[in-house]
Amino acid sequence: MPDAEIEEGEAKLFERNQALYKSLDERYIVHGQRYKGQQYSQIYFARLHCMRNLLRPLVSKWKPHLPVTTILGLEEAKECTIVGTIYKHMKLKPSILDEYSKERSTVPLVKPHNFVHTDDHLILEDEIGRVKLRGSLLLPSDFVTGIGVALHGKKTIEGDFLVQDLLEAGFSPQVELSAAGNDKYVVFISGLSIGSNNFNPLQFQLFVDYVTGHLGSDNEQKIASNIVRVVIAGNSVVIPESLLNGQTLSAKDQSKISEPIKELDILLMQLAASLPLDIMPGPKDPANSFLPQQPLHRCLFPGTSAYNTFFSCTNPHQFELDDFLFLGTSGQNIDDLDKYSNAKSKLEFMERTLRWRHLAPTAPNTLSCYPFTDRDPFFIESCPHVYFVGNQDKFETHLLQGPEKQLVRLVCIPRFCDSGIAVMLNLRDLDCYTLSFTADLKG
Amino acid sequence: MDEDVFLEENLLKYEEDEESLRLLEDEARLSKWKRPALSPSYLSYSPNILFQQLEIDYVIGESSKELLPNNSGSAAILRIFGVTKEGHSVCCHVHGFEPYFYISCPAGIGPDDISRFHQTLEGRMRESNKSSNVPRFVKRVEIVQKKSIMYYQQHEAHPFLKIVVALPTMVSSCRGILERGLNVEGLGSKNFLTYESNILFALRFMIDCNIVGGNWIEVPAGKYTKTTKSMSYCQMEFNCVYSDLVSHVPDGEYSKMAPFRILSFDIECAGRKGLFPEPIHDPVIQIANLVTSQGDDQPFIRNVMTLKSCSTIVGVDVMSFDSEKDILLAWRDFIREIDPDIIIGYNICKFDLPYLIERAEALKIAGFPILGRVRNSRVRVRDTTFSSRQYGIRESKEVAIEGRVQFDLLQAMQRDYKLSSYSLNSVSAHFLGEQKEDVHHSIISDLQNGNSETRRRLAVYCLKDAYLPQRLLDKLMFIYNYVEMARVTGVPISFLLARGQSIKVLSQLLRKAKQKNLVIPNIKGQGSGQETFEGATVLEARTGFYEKPIATLDFASLYPSIMMAYNLCYCTLLTPENARQFNLPTESISKSPSGDTFVKPELQKAYAWLNLLLNLPGCSNFQSSYIQGILPEILEELLAARKRAKADLKEAKDPFERAVLDGRQLALKISANSVYGFTGATIGQLPCLEISSSVTSYGRQMIEHTKKIVEEKFTTLAGYDHNAEVIYGDTDSVMVQFGVPTVEAAMKLGREAAEYISGTFRKFIKFCFNPSNLSLRRDMLDCIGRIPKSLTKWIQKARIGGIETVRRDNCLLVKNLVNECLCKILEDRDVSGAVQYVKDTIADLLMNRVDLSLLVITKGLTKTGDDYAVKAAHVELAERMRKRDAATAPNVGDRVPYVIVKAAKGAKAYERSEDPIYVLQNNIPIDSQYYLENQLQKPLLRIFEPILKNAQQELFTGKHTRNLKSSTPSNSGIMKFAKKQLSCLGCKAVISDADRTLCLHCKGREAELYCKIVSNVAEMEVLFGRLWTQCQECQGSLHQDVLCTRHKSDLTFSSHLFPRLPDILSEEESAERHG
Repeated sequence: MPDAEIEEGEAKLFERNQALYKSLDERYIVHGQRYKGQQYSQIYFARLHCMRNLLRPLVSKWKPHLPVTTILGLEEAKECTIVGTIYKHMKLKPSILDEYSKERSTVPLVKPHNFVHTDDHLILEDEIGRVKLRGSLLLPSDFVTGIGVALHGKKTIEGDFLVQDLLEAGFSPQVELSAAGNDKYVVFISGLSIGSNNFNPLQFQLFVDYVTGHLGSDNEQKIASNIVRVVIAGNSVVIPESLLNGQTLSAKDQSKISEPIKELDILLMQLAASLPLDIMPGPKDPANSFLPQQPLHRCLFPGTSAYNTFFSCTNPHQFELDDFLFLGTSGQNIDDLDKYSNAKSKLEFMERTLRWRHLAPTAPNTLSCYPFTDRDPFFIESCPHVYFVGNQDKFETHLLQGPEKQLVRLVCIPRFCDSGIAVMLNLRDLDCYTLSFTADLKG
Repeated sequence: MDEDVFLEENLLKYEEDEESLRLLEDEARLSKWKRPALSPSYLSYSPNILFQQLEIDYVIGESSKELLPNNSGSAAILRIFGVTKEGHSVCCHVHGFEPYFYISCPAGIGPDDISRFHQTLEGRMRESNKSSNVPRFVKRVEIVQKKSIMYYQQHEAHPFLKIVVALPTMVSSCRGILERGLNVEGLGSKNFLTYESNILFALRFMIDCNIVGGNWIEVPAGKYTKTTKSMSYCQMEFNCVYSDLVSHVPDGEYSKMAPFRILSFDIECAGRKGLFPEPIHDPVIQIANLVTSQGDDQPFIRNVMTLKSCSTIVGVDVMSFDSEKDILLAWRDFIREIDPDIIIGYNICKFDLPYLIERAEALKIAGFPILGRVRNSRVRVRDTTFSSRQYGIRESKEVAIEGRVQFDLLQAMQRDYKLSSYSLNSVSAHFLGEQKEDVHHSIISDLQNGNSETRRRLAVYCLKDAYLPQRLLDKLMFIYNYVEMARVTGVPISFLLARGQSIKVLSQLLRKAKQKNLVIPNIKGQGSGQETFEGATVLEARTGFYEKPIATLDFASLYPSIMMAYNLCYCTLLTPENARQFNLPTESISKSPSGDTFVKPELQKAYAWLNLLLNLPGCSNFQSSYIQGILPEILEELLAARKRAKADLKEAKDPFERAVLDGRQLALKISANSVYGFTGATIGQLPCLEISSSVTSYGRQMIEHTKKIVEEKFTTLAGYDHNAEVIYGDTDSVMVQFGVPTVEAAMKLGREAAEYISGTFRKFIKFCFNPSNLSLRRDMLDCIGRIPKSLTKWIQKARIGGIETVRRDNCLLVKNLVNECLCKILEDRDVSGAVQYVKDTIADLLMNRVDLSLLVITKGLTKTGDDYAVKAAHVELAERMRKRDAATAPNVGDRVPYVIVKAAKGAKAYERSEDPIYVLQNNIPIDSQYYLENQLQKPLLRIFEPILKNAQQELFTGKHTRNLKSSTPSNSGIMKFAKKQLSCLGCKAVISDADRTLCLHCKGREAELYCKIVSNVAEMEVLFGRLWTQCQECQGSLHQDVLCTRHKSDLTFSSHLFPRLPDILSEEESAERHG
């Protein structure tokens, strides 16, 4: 749907640029949600199976002289390699049983930012057995439960496994791009939090006007016309939790729930009228909490859903835009890693998930996820060109180069309601800028 | 070459290899199992042997000619089992100790009379024991100078007859003859009172040789002979004479522990569907064993024996057998090889051990039950009932394994801790913070019948069950505490679990009496057990809300102090006639408020002094007379020892030493407190109600005295700012409001008062002022008023953190609620917040939003239904559950969890109890009104009445009580006839089209309603995720399905959240209808 802007004085016409879009969300869709008693073991099993298939050829190249054994087949002091899933035993990990069994009302649930403790240790588990890992090579604070790895080492007298070397799955292969094209921009935004006190309608309106080309000089409009897509990465609305406890509500409270959604619908309508728009659910949106979060229901957007430029997507969200592969989440996977492991920056967490070839290793252990039985949808099969994460504290970006010349643009999208920042990415060279909007009249 | 031949040859070769490999493996196993080899020095010459004894028993055998040339015939030989510091097992046969007892000597008896008496007694003994062919029953009768412990006597000593018999069993028959009456020529017929005639032989030996439970014994070189033909499986075995034993006082070097071997084991049986395993039918399929050396933190042997193949387990030796017989015999050999000193487990006494033995019987494996340390001695199983006032009646089985101490963690738990459930799971959750997975017995058979993988899972589970008791043992320091208790009280370790409190006091009393040359009469069943005396009274509390700090003054160990201060003892008690006869000066006796008279300690002193001064010839005995009663002296020693232990504890650095000392001070404290109880136990060994009632009466007097003094001294007249007011006083504490506004000032005054009051009492009674208590009761709301004592304790503990659930038959909801309210009122000073909280909780209860686990009430099933006079809810329920499924129904001794459900009008309370699992499965509605009225109302009103004007109205009526909701039963009553219809999700109007979700009217609210439903779904999903991952955590595996059936069946309820799963379904369904 090309859209043209007419400048007041000079009748200069910019035509909105377009890009070929292909949604790859199918793998994240859960069909026919019906609980049939499945447990989480299947998803781990599927994950390990995937990892084993992937690591088997790698291991034989990595340590060709060593035998590959299972954990039960370990023999004392004999060097070998094993493949399995890491389990991190954590001292501070909160247990739901404590919450329920102890006086649950009296003890306020202290939620520290991070549960890492120096006494944490790693365990490797394969289909049948478990073994405690030792050695200074693996730092427990770097790892989390759920990662598939291959290890080289030997069993000690105590029955532990002394790790001598580690092999991770590494970056997935990447589709090579054809020669660089023209300027085409994708805009990322997250954490609008409509309905919260931080949300400033004017600020967002400025954003809408800019993107749709109603603001700025020719030059700016020219840039705006090259925006081919807007992606909203979660937490678009905030609904007061106190209203959602199952009680019957008064008419006034009823509107408190629907008001922010209506407002969102109106704002999105303006965007959708002008250019393609993806909206992903986030942890605070009216969506389920299991990952992958299913698309926000169309009934929430009676106005916007009339446009065929409007795409309600899953979280995680994966799509192709002119051969560029995009992969992103609304932030849960990275936030959870941040709780259960340590890194210098959020970007490092993102890099790790690529290296582990798994988008959300902590699911289902600490991140709730749908109990899949046949597959693990979070497995990263091919390396994306752009990997974005929403609802972060600050904007961060890095162009990552993989061992096989993979190029990945990592983007942390800050919360818009706090920062007023949206992120603009140029497909031509994968460059990344921020768009900062402020509606603070005093400043 | 022919291919087949090649294969065959190869195979054969392979098999051979395997065979030799297995032999090698077995050898490696055995070398790991064996105890360290004996040092060559012991083998070649015979050095001193020093060992820590654990168990003492006796056998009847030929007395050793070598050691005791003068004796002949059969005699009792004591066997002491123990371990040396190097870890060698010891069996020491002690010869020459003879059983005996005393009787009071008839007046004017001469040497001739004694021999006549001896012959008559011998004759009577022969008559009543015709079958036995002992050459002599009564070995000796001697005259000794002793004194009875009962009542104050002026004479120093009387002649007593010491009767020495041949065998320990003859003591009781001889006692019977003497008590019933004996006609001795020249003396006439007489009923004799016997003394110290009901003491177990082993204890008698320990007392006479100064051996206390678990101490170190030394047998000097040259004083023993090694046995030629060993009778036991111990590494060292020798004979010696009892007088050559050197018993070391457990102090310094001798307070350490030898490296005992502790075996922790668990068995699994394959039961049939719906039935509890029975040894006649159901095979033993796995036995897991862990052996730990005392003082190590890891077991050095872990193995599991399985029926049929089983995959390997890391760090565990898996031994698979093809027949059950092989397993049982392998286990027997294992026991013999590793030679454990202590066998522990969970419920081993009642289940595991008897099951193994009965199973072996059913399979006719004659060689199995030789598990003890004595060769060819079979283990026997006996039914026992243990009854005690403190612990109630317990049915148990006694499995006698000679030379090995059995320590059943279940029994220890039931004794030492008050818990609402004693399942291994809840105990380990409570103490170790860890859940174990629960595998239902019906699944066990399925796992066993699967492949080697499923059997491996079972083995892992079994190992875990075997490891938990060991961890509990370590965590709760049972070994240290029990050994120290045995050392302090002087009884063998095995007595501590199998017997009540009184034997411990008796042992101390006997030891003391022996030093003092006193004898203790055998008074049997003096009372009917029903007699009571006035207990400790409590000052009437002044209920109210106190803004100002309240100080609590505690007596330091009040009852022991009273006994010491007033010299209350058996031997200082004056009978009325004695009082008249002796005509003692009034200043030297004290009359207790209960009307009994005791001799003051100063009396003897006075006499001794008088004696010296006047040098009266007739009173010369008084010089050596004792100053104190025995009980006060025991107490004084105990308390002094505790003080010492505590001081040492402060200095000690070594963790093992600290553990020993801490165990000791605890044992000393418990022992000191049990002395009072001993005198009051009317069906005990030596009851003396005069003492116990005097103690309580003094106690009451003291509390009143304190109140008087405090209120007299701390007045405005005496220069203090405020008049002090005693608000409450119970058994051993007094609460005072000094009227000062700050905590510091109250603390200062509290200390002053404590010192002042202590000064007015006798030296032993000390008022101790406990500052921690004060801060606890800061700004105290005095809700103690009519609340039972248990609750006041509870408040204190709740302040300190974590609820100590004193009353276990309250549901968790009440405990949480009361605790929360107190917190809000006392700490946050937020009364309206507390009221709101109560209202919310009540609304939740009525709206059926409270988790079922919070509503479960547990009660101990102590007898079977017929024994109860009145029908009780839990008993009836247990009966009903037995009818449904005998395998899971609770048994006597278990705690029965139940909830109260709605039932037909007019149904009795006991008919409304129901099994919580059953309730969940069938959606039976909860009787929320019952919980409101019978559970919540009373404790809440007690709290709120002093603060709120119309507490009853305020809390229990009003808007929040008007919304009711209860679950509809799924398959009973009228619901069978109901037809399901779609209704609008917004307004519940019935809608016709199946594919629509909302009625026309609600169409506009679609987004809002969707938000609500989806938020419920999201919440459920989070819960779902967290619960299943928690299950995985408990199970310790990610890739395998969770086997635990707790979410379906067993509920100890702390973890029971799974009923919510069906809710998730229905929520998702309604979300689907939207889509």
